[in-house]
Amino acid sequence: MAAPDLVDPKSATHSSKPRRSFSAKSITLSPTEECQAIATVMKWKTVSAIFLLVVLYLVVGAAVFKALEQPHESAQRLAILTQKLDFLSTHSCVNHSQLEELVKQVVSAIRSGVNPAGTLTNHSSLWDLSSSFFFAGTVITTIGFGNISPHTEGGRIFCIIYALLGIPLFGFLLAGVGDQLGTIFGKATARVEKMFVQWDVSQTKIRVLSTVLFILFGCLLFVALPAAIFKHIEGWSALESLYFVVITLTTIGFGDFVAGGSEIEYLDYYKPVVWFWILVGLAYFAAVLSMIGDWLRVISKKTKEEVGEIRAHAAEWTANVSAEFKETRRRLSVEVYDKFQRAASIKSKMSSELGLNSDPELTPPKRKMSVNFTNELDREKEPVSPPVTNKNGSPFLNGKGVDPKRGDIAITPQVEVTTFNL
Amino acid sequence: MSSGYKSWILLTGFILFYVAYLLLGALVFSTIERPVEDKLKSDIQVLKEEFLNQSCVNATSLENFLEKVLQANKYGISILPNSSASSNWDLASSLFFANTLVTTVGYGHTTPLSDTGKAFSIFYALLGVPFTMLVLTACVQRLMHPVTYGPIDMCRQRIGLDPLAATAVHFAILLLLVVLGFFVVPAVVFSHIEDTWSFLDAIYFCFITLCTIGLGDYVPGEKPGQKFRSLYKISVMVYLFLGLMMMYLVLRAFHRMADLHGLTSFFQLPHCDEDTEEDKEPIIEADPEDQHEAEASAKPLDPASQTSYNTINR
Repeated sequence: MAAPDLVDPKSATHSSKPRRSFSAKSITLSPTEECQAIATVMKWKTVSAIFLLVVLYLVVGAAVFKALEQPHESAQRLAILTQKLDFLSTHSCVNHSQLEELVKQVVSAIRSGVNPAGTLTNHSSLWDLSSSFFFAGTVITTIGFGNISPHTEGGRIFCIIYALLGIPLFGFLLAGVGDQLGTIFGKATARVEKMFVQWDVSQTKIRVLSTVLFILFGCLLFVALPAAIFKHIEGWSALESLYFVVITLTTIGFGDFVAGGSEIEYLDYYKPVVWFWILVGLAYFAAVLSMIGDWLRVISKKTKEEVGEIRAHAAEWTANVSAEFKETRRRLSVEVYDKFQRAASIKSKMSSELGLNSDPELTPPKRKMSVNFTNELDREKEPVSPPVTNKNGSPFLNGKGVDPKRGDIAITPQVEVTTFNL
Repeated sequence: MSSGYKSWILLTGFILFYVAYLLLGALVFSTIERPVEDKLKSDIQVLKEEFLNQSCVNATSLENFLEKVLQANKYGISILPNSSASSNWDLASSLFFANTLVTTVGYGHTTPLSDTGKAFSIFYALLGVPFTMLVLTACVQRLMHPVTYGPIDMCRQRIGLDPLAATAVHFAILLLLVVLGFFVVPAVVFSHIEDTWSFLDAIYFCFITLCTIGLGDYVPGEKPGQKFRSLYKISVMVYLFLGLMMMYLVLRAFHRMADLHGLTSFFQLPHCDEDTEEDKEPIIEADPEDQHEAEASAKPLDPASQTSYNTINR
């Protein structure tokens, strides 16, 4: 029976499980990622549908952000204006324009990274070697915090050239690190799979389990642990540390929170360790993000597939079942015909033995039998048909299941042939 | 085993080279920027002293005031009079913000202030970033045909160049067009609209944005009293999206070209191993693809045959 296998659509779609690709940094490695994916090109309809979905996603996000942030912003604005008025009233020798001039200068200084608040003598430079190293790192990884940025023309031109060469370089590095991570994980999964295969757990469950484990373990190592460290060292809240970790590792890099960017005395090895964490964490995040992307792609493909497959399966199943049905009917009709033939031959033998007692009533039933027999075949939906076969498949056991129209001849080879119900 | 060994060596080589590159960058940035920074520091110190000298304000109250002003400024709120009209979180600006979040540019000129906003940003980014990447790669995949394969084929057939030369020529032309169309022309437009930006600033902005670095020192549409602010911000969003797509396209074309010229195998980098014939398949017909997929999905998973996790879906 081929039908039961095909009825279950899941068995056919088990291979479209989320595929994890580690060499998938967002910018430079999307070609690589692409090449390792199945080379299916989407139709324009699908692409525009997804595009509309993205636009919708953006609009929804915008509305939520607006609702969440605007009240805060108004409150802040109000607070700072009150401050300003307070200041002006307490210090009456200062007038508006002077204060505004000062504030303008201060703000532009802040934009250049100089913090005018506090004494400036022992303030460390933003462009000493370690901070410049950190800045170069943020440029190449495309995080781009922005708490430091070049202000000279020469600095900016150099920044452009530097990024042009450095971003692909970092992309290759990320590919390498990601691949190493991938092989390590692949070996671990293979070992786990070997263990589980003995216990007869299905492949898909193992894959899902290993993916989940990967995510959890990676989260612990690259997200939770650094967040705890940042909370402790930088003095941020738990949410702020987590926010910083996510914003950094997705290379968004707002710059409102920067590890190593505040006025605290840091240990010497703090910044290099942060940089190393960024490197490995980026590889991990690229893997997770590409996995989420794969799932999204798989979901859209899967729904398309499943709809098509369900239809195909349904058609195949109905075809199979009706074929089976026809086959069974054919078999049964052949059996019935055989049995009737035998009965007829036995009857003729018996009548010849009994002499010339040709019972005229016997012959019509025979004919009626054959006539009804053919009618019987045509009338498949007759309620008669179920009684034709019982459990053993042999018709007319014990003389039951007799059709009065047929002239009720119960024929069984085993029962004594003398019993004829007329 | 030797190939695994070799890949480790290559990786270490890459890391060392990368570190050296960073050091070089650090040195150069330091040398260029430091003098300017020192001058700015002394200027601001002088300004403060002047202010304190001619007024009755004492140092501590000024410090307090400045702290608060800077705190507010960090979140994009300025106390200068003509900037109080527009909010940073009206619908167009929030849309712009969501866009910078999702394309990973992340300027940082406005950042979520509330805790709920921060938490929401985390989830929004985690979902939105792969989503955007998916859309961009899908669009780029579609665009590769008319933009890359078509012209290259035309080059080969009409002009009769061999494949290597054709791809190189095509890539050069593509690069030139992208630079003109997505860097130079927008830079001219930006430097015209934004008063304080020079042409170099505008090109710098375009580059930093399209590489998704997004330092945030230059953000369009932040000028107080900007006319048609919402429309401007939305058109910048469109520019960002199209520009990103073009960058991906250029990268992909470069990757294919490098593949053909054998550079990727030289550096042991991943290949573009999709066949060009497959790519040239008519995209409108769904049946060959679906058939292929159905065949592929009908094969059972054989644990022994999977050498790497990446080959599961083949």
